[in-house]
Amino acid sequence: MGKKSKTSRKGKKAWRANISTEDIEDFFEKTTKDALSGGNLSAAPSEDLFHVDKSHDLPVKRKIEKHRERVLRVDSILKKNPFVQLVPSSKPKLKKSKKTIVIEDKAPKQVQKNVGDDSVMVDLWGDDSKGEDESNPRKIFKKPSIIPAVEIEHPGCSYNPTTESHQDMLAEAVAQEMQKVYKTELGPAPVPLTVEGDSLSEDERYFLDVDNFGEGEDDVLKKNPFVQLVPSSKPNLKTIVIEDKTPRQAQKSVGDDSVMVDMLGDDSKEDLRYFLELGNVGEGENNEDVENEVSEAGNIFARKTKRVTRVELNKRCRQKALRKKETKEKAKEKILNEIDSLPNILEEIAREDEDKQNKHLRRVIAKEEVLKIRPPRLGKYKFEAPPVQVLLTEEMTGSLRKLKACCTLARDRFKSLEKRGILVPSKQIRRF
Amino acid sequence: MPKHYRPAGKKKEGNAARYMTRSQALKHLQVNLNLFRRLCIVKGIFPREPKKKVKGNHHTYYHVKDIAFLMHEPLLEKFREIKTYQKKVKKAKSKKNEELARLLLTRQPTYKLDRLIRERYPTFIDALRDLDDCLTMVHLFAVLPASDRENLEVKRVHNCRRLTHEWQAYISRCHALRKVFVSVKGIYYQAELEGQKITWLTPHAIQQVFTNDVDFGVLLTFLEFYETLLAFINFKLYHSLNVKYPPILDSRLEALAADLYALSRYIDASSRGMAVEPKVDASSSSQSNDREESELRLAQLQHQLPSSEPGALMHLVADNNKEVEEDEETRVCKSLFKDLKFFLSREVPRESLLFVLPAFGGMVSWEGEGAPFKEDDESITHHIIDKPSAGHVYLSRVYVQPQWIYDCVNARIILPTEKYLVGSRIPPPHLSPFVDNEAEGYVPDYAETIKRLQAAARNEVLPLPGVGKEDLEDPQNLLYAGVMSRAEEAEAAKNKKKMAAQEKQYHEELKMEITASKDVVAPVVTEDEESVPDAMQIAQENADMSTVLMSRKKRKLYEAMKIGQKKKKASVELIEQRKKKLNDAQS
Repeated sequence: MGKKSKTSRKGKKAWRANISTEDIEDFFEKTTKDALSGGNLSAAPSEDLFHVDKSHDLPVKRKIEKHRERVLRVDSILKKNPFVQLVPSSKPKLKKSKKTIVIEDKAPKQVQKNVGDDSVMVDLWGDDSKGEDESNPRKIFKKPSIIPAVEIEHPGCSYNPTTESHQDMLAEAVAQEMQKVYKTELGPAPVPLTVEGDSLSEDERYFLDVDNFGEGEDDVLKKNPFVQLVPSSKPNLKTIVIEDKTPRQAQKSVGDDSVMVDMLGDDSKEDLRYFLELGNVGEGENNEDVENEVSEAGNIFARKTKRVTRVELNKRCRQKALRKKETKEKAKEKILNEIDSLPNILEEIAREDEDKQNKHLRRVIAKEEVLKIRPPRLGKYKFEAPPVQVLLTEEMTGSLRKLKACCTLARDRFKSLEKRGILVPSKQIRRF
Repeated sequence: MPKHYRPAGKKKEGNAARYMTRSQALKHLQVNLNLFRRLCIVKGIFPREPKKKVKGNHHTYYHVKDIAFLMHEPLLEKFREIKTYQKKVKKAKSKKNEELARLLLTRQPTYKLDRLIRERYPTFIDALRDLDDCLTMVHLFAVLPASDRENLEVKRVHNCRRLTHEWQAYISRCHALRKVFVSVKGIYYQAELEGQKITWLTPHAIQQVFTNDVDFGVLLTFLEFYETLLAFINFKLYHSLNVKYPPILDSRLEALAADLYALSRYIDASSRGMAVEPKVDASSSSQSNDREESELRLAQLQHQLPSSEPGALMHLVADNNKEVEEDEETRVCKSLFKDLKFFLSREVPRESLLFVLPAFGGMVSWEGEGAPFKEDDESITHHIIDKPSAGHVYLSRVYVQPQWIYDCVNARIILPTEKYLVGSRIPPPHLSPFVDNEAEGYVPDYAETIKRLQAAARNEVLPLPGVGKEDLEDPQNLLYAGVMSRAEEAEAAKNKKKMAAQEKQYHEELKMEITASKDVVAPVVTEDEESVPDAMQIAQENADMSTVLMSRKKRKLYEAMKIGQKKKKASVELIEQRKKKLNDAQS
C-alpha cells in the first residue's frame, strides 16, 4: 500500500481532475436503463405499480387480536382457581362505550364487598369439586417429615405411671443427661483463646524463625550424624560446616567404596551435595547401587566401564529367557490353581456380595430410623431434642392436684416444629 | 429457539439448578427475611435437604419451584402494600401530624388467609387430617398470658380461648372423644371425626411461661394461620349441626368463665329449635329451680331452654333416632356415664372434666356460680375430689379421684371405684391408652385387670355382636321367605344354624373361662396344640412363598421389619425380666 502520489493542484489540468462528473454520468446511466426497461417508473401511475391484495389472508390487526385471544397455559391454570385474577400480558384497547364499563364494574364490586366483610363467613369447603383439585398440581402438600405433629409421650410420662414404664423413662432421661456430660468430658478440649506466658525475647524469636524455615531440609540433614546445622545470620543462606573427622568416618559409613572422596582437598558445592546424597542412601543400600549412582551423579570421577564380552551377553540372554519361562509357568500354575478353587472363589464373591448388601440395608434402615427421630439437617445448627418431661420418683404423688406439671409447652411446640423440619433449628439467644 | 436452550456459560444442572439458598430466595422475591418467613409459614413451604448441597452445609435450601410458587402469591403484593402504608403512617407520625396518622391507621389495608386455607386444604378431610398441630397451638395460646414484649394481645388470647371452647363443645356434643391421657406435659385427647383421628395436647391448669429459646414471632405467625383454619372448621362443624356459627353466648356464664357450659347450652338450644320439638322438654323440666339467667341476653332460641337444666347435652339422647346413623363406638361413648351425675370439687381440673364428662354422656356441675346444680343435690352419684378428705360427706354418693374418670373413659366401662376412693392411698397407675399392648408385647398388670373387667361387662350386656342384628332382621326374613326360592331358603337356614352353633360354642367357652379357669385350661391347651402347628406351618409356607415372590425392595423392607420386631421382642423380654427381679426383691 503505497501512498498516493501528490499531484500539483496548480494549473487547469489539476482543477479539471478535481471536479467530479458523477452526476452527469449517473444521469446518463439512468436514462439508458429506463430506456432499456421500458419507461420511467416515477412517471408511471400508481395503479400500474401496486395492486390491492384480495386474497384470504388475515389482516395484521386481526392477527394480533387472534394472538391475544389465545389463552396461555399459565393463564388457563390460574383461571381454574376462582380466587386468582388474571393479569393480561397485553391489554386490547377498549372500544366499548363508557356505559357498559360502568355496569360491568358495579357487579364485581358488590361481590367483593361481600367477601371482604368480616362478619360474613363462608363455608370454604361447601363446593368440593374434585376435578378442580386434581388439576391443581400442588394439591397435595407434602409433609416434610413423617414425625407426627403431636407425639404422644411414653406411658412412663404419665402423671401416675406404672413402676416399670416409669423406670424405663427415667433411665432414658438419665441417659440423655449423661450423654451431655460425657460429651463435654470426653470431647476434645477447646482451643484456648489466650495462652499464658512471657513474650518472646529476640533471640528466641530468631531461633523460632530458623526452625520454621525449611523443615524438610533439616530432617534430611539430621539423618546424617556428621553434619551439623549452624544457623547463619541470613536464613536463606545456610552454611554447612563439616568437622575435621568427617571424611574418614564418612568413608567408613559408605563402606568399601572404590570411590574415594577427598573432602578436604576439594570442597566445591557439588561435592557437598554428593556427600549428602550418600548420607541419605544409608548403610543398608547395596554397594553396587551406590556405585551406579555415584557414576551417574559425579562426572568428575573417572568412569570405569567394562566391556561386555560375547560370553557375558550370551549368558544374560539365556538368563532372561529362563526367567521369562519361569514366570510363564508360574502364571500358568496360578491360573490352574484358581480354576481348581473356583467354587471357593464363587463362594467368596457371594459372601462379599451379601456383606455388601447387608451393609447397604443396614445403612438404609439406619437412615430411616434417624429420620423418625431427627429431622434432616436444614441449616447451620443441628436439632437438639428437648429434655424428657418425666416425674422423679419422689415427685410421684398420684394426685393431679399436687402434680408438678410442665410449664414450657411453648418450647415443646417450637421444638416439635423444628423436629418436623418446618423450621430451621437456630441457636437463638434472645436479647433482653 | 429450542425449548430448553441454555445460553453458554450459564450451565446449571441438577441440584444447583433445582435448589437455592435462603438468601438467594430473598433476593429473588425481593422481600426481607421477616416477610419471607411469614410467607413460608402461611403458604406451607418448608426448607428442603438436597442430596448435594451446592453452596455448603451451613445454608438452608429451598426448592426453586417452591420459590416460584411464592412468587405468584397475591399475598406478597399485599404485604408490600402494607409495608408502604406503614411508611406513610410513620412519616406522618414523625412529622408530628397525629391527626393524619390516626386517620391513616383507621384505614389500614388488611389481608385474609381464607384463600390460602382453601388452597392448602382442598377438602374438609384434608383440613381435619392436619388439625393436630393447629389444635395444640391454639389450646396453648389460650392459656398463655398476654404480653407486650411478645406482641401477644389480649384479644388474640381470648379468641384462642373462644375457638378452643367451640371445638370442645362440638366434640363433646358429638361424643367424638375417644382417648384421654394425662401426662406430665399436659393432657392428650384423641377424637375421631369423619374417620380421622385427631390428637391434641392441652396444657395443665398452671401458668405457662415464655422461654428464651423460643421465637414467639414465628409461633404467632403459625397461630394466625391456625386461628383462621380452626374458625373455618368450627364453622363447618357447627353448620353440620344446624347451628349458627359465631355462637351467641350467655354473657353471664361467660363472665363466670363457664364458656364451655354456655356453648353446650347454646348448641343444644339452637339445634333443638331446628328439630321443632322444644315444648315437651320445656314442660318436663320445669321443675328445675328458676334462676332466670338465660332470659337476659340469650338469643331467642336459647329462651326455649329452661334456665338451669342439668346436663343440657343429655336431652339429645331422646332425639337420637333422627340424627345420622352413628357407629358402634360413638354409641358406646355416649352411654358410658349415662345415668350418672357428677359434681366437681374446687381443686380438680374443671376445664378438662367439663369437656370429658359430657362427651361421654355424663351430667356435670361444679362449685361456683352459674353451675347447673348445687352440691347438696340428692341425685349426685359421684363427687370428684382431689384432697385427702371431704368436708361434708353425703352417703348417697361416691367420692372419687379425678383419675377414675379418665381411666373409665379409656377402658369404656365403669371401673370399680374402690381403688380410686379418696384417702391417702395412691390410685392405680394411669395407663396410656395410646399404647397398643398387643403390638408392644408387654401388658402391665392393671391393664390386664381392666381387660378382664371389660370382658365381664361385655358378657352381661351383649352376648355376641353378630347375633343381635340377626334377631332384629327376623321378621323381615319371614316376609321375604315367600319370595325367596327354596335353595336360598335352605341356605339361609343353614347359615342361621351355623351362627347359632357358633354362638353356643362361644358362650360355652366364655362360661368355662369365667367359672373354672384353672381346671379348664389344660384341655383347651391340648386342643390348641393340635391346631396350632398346622397353622404355623401354613403360615410359614405362605411367608416363604411371598418372600420369593416379592421384589427385592419389598423383601428388604420385610427383612427390616423383622429386625425391628426382633428388637421389640428383646426389649419386652428385658422389661419382664426386670419386673421379675423387682418382684423377687419385694417378696
